Amino acid sequence: MSLASAQAEFLDAVLGEEEPADAGLAVYHRTALASRRSALAAAYPVVRRLVGTAFFDEAAARYAHGTPSTSGDLHAYGAGLAGYLEGYAPARGLEFLPDTARLEWAVHTCAHAADSADFDFAALGRVPAEALDGIVIRLHPAARLVASSHPVLAIWEANQEGCDGKPGRDQGPDHVLVRRLGFAVAPVALEPASWELAQAFARGATLGQAADALGTGEPLGAALSRLATLGALGGFEHAPRS
Amino acid sequence: MDAGGGPARVGIGLRAPHYRDLIERRPDVAFLEAHSENFFGDGGAALAWLERFRALYPLSLHGVGLSLGSCDPLDEQHLARLHALVRRVEPVLVSEHLSWSSAGDRHANDLLPLPLSEEALDHVARRVEHVQERLGRELLVENVSAYARIAPSSIPEWEFVAEVVRRSGCRLLLDVNNVWVNSANHGFDPRRYLDAIDPASVAEIHLAGFERAAGMLVDTHGAPVAGEVWELYEYALARFGPRPTLIEWDTDIPELDVLLAEARRARALAT
Repeated sequence: MSLASAQAEFLDAVLGEEEPADAGLAVYHRTALASRRSALAAAYPVVRRLVGTAFFDEAAARYAHGTPSTSGDLHAYGAGLAGYLEGYAPARGLEFLPDTARLEWAVHTCAHAADSADFDFAALGRVPAEALDGIVIRLHPAARLVASSHPVLAIWEANQEGCDGKPGRDQGPDHVLVRRLGFAVAPVALEPASWELAQAFARGATLGQAADALGTGEPLGAALSRLATLGALGGFEHAPRS
Repeated sequence: MDAGGGPARVGIGLRAPHYRDLIERRPDVAFLEAHSENFFGDGGAALAWLERFRALYPLSLHGVGLSLGSCDPLDEQHLARLHALVRRVEPVLVSEHLSWSSAGDRHANDLLPLPLSEEALDHVARRVEHVQERLGRELLVENVSAYARIAPSSIPEWEFVAEVVRRSGCRLLLDVNNVWVNSANHGFDPRRYLDAIDPASVAEIHLAGFERAAGMLVDTHGAPVAGEVWELYEYALARFGPRPTLIEWDTDIPELDVLLAEARRARALAT
């Protein structure tokens, strides 16, 4: 048998749903499952606390069986758990769970995203007024936006270590900016104008287009300032002339 | 890191539960060895910690996810991240495992044993060469524990390991615990294994703890170094001379002092 076929066959046994009868293969089978489970437990501590360890481990094992790791870096494993939970029958009554998982994945990826200098407001101030509409502002590379019809931020906050697990609000929706404060990941709620503006920046809109998206009466400057203060913004550039 | 004369320099694995203790106490260890993949992010706290440690200790980068022996194409993105990390922290040693973990883009995220065959030997030696060219520096390769053998496995493991090193021009990270574990699981004399290794090719030694499960020894990195492994380490030191030595502990990670005591024991044996 060629090396490639021997490896494919061995891996089938290691990643299969059934534990192999061979004691040695079974060691690899258990380790592979345990690695994926613990990667999920590390990325989704709030979901785990909400449903309990036994429920989580079962869901994680089922997800892991259907979703092989595709990277040599286990930190990349588990991006699809929220979507999986949407169709996971035992979680059917827990409507907030998939979006809570979405928020946790955003927190997980925010933690090790690239660093960036503080947004240079002074430099933006030096842009001539007539050129401002053509400016494109990038979100900070660690910023993530998560919207939910459930109060996921309140749920997340109440289930941090040392908290009692009782959310301050039981109604949504939540519009959450996940960003870092220093090196700590600190999700924060955005009010509608800042949310719309952040969404526009995420789409690559120019300031002019973003102002249009906010509609009349919404103060762009205040929302922009709030996003900058929260650390949501990276840099800016002049949009290429079309 | 110089592998030549003088006492063996003993380091410990860098693990998150010890970060604060290490920064506050700055214990007398010769180097810290980090798992490369734990620092593959683009920024954030993990890399900031690593750079703090870089300022205090020599660093060694130890990869667990490159899947060197796989027949899948080498993951160039993985290599690019490793290369960027190597440039960023300038480690004294960079190592990976003589194993594979993926086939058809499915990863076991574990160190799976290669068949001890001519085909596997030729394949993995070429891949080591490729990685060394890509990184522009020497890669150390580590012998792994094996709980199963993939057919055909006709070459003794020690010959396989020595030959990979010879063909690829890399050096060896000799894991003495893995030699012991395999000698028990597959029935050979561990000293014969060490005798087959060219002393000049040994750049680093790993020591860790195994556990017994299902009638075999499993390299869990979750226990103290066993007495038999300390004895085999002494045999290795007598044959190879002092080498940079690492105490590894990855599961059920104990207090820093437990690792430091193991490191002191290794250092005492080597002087």
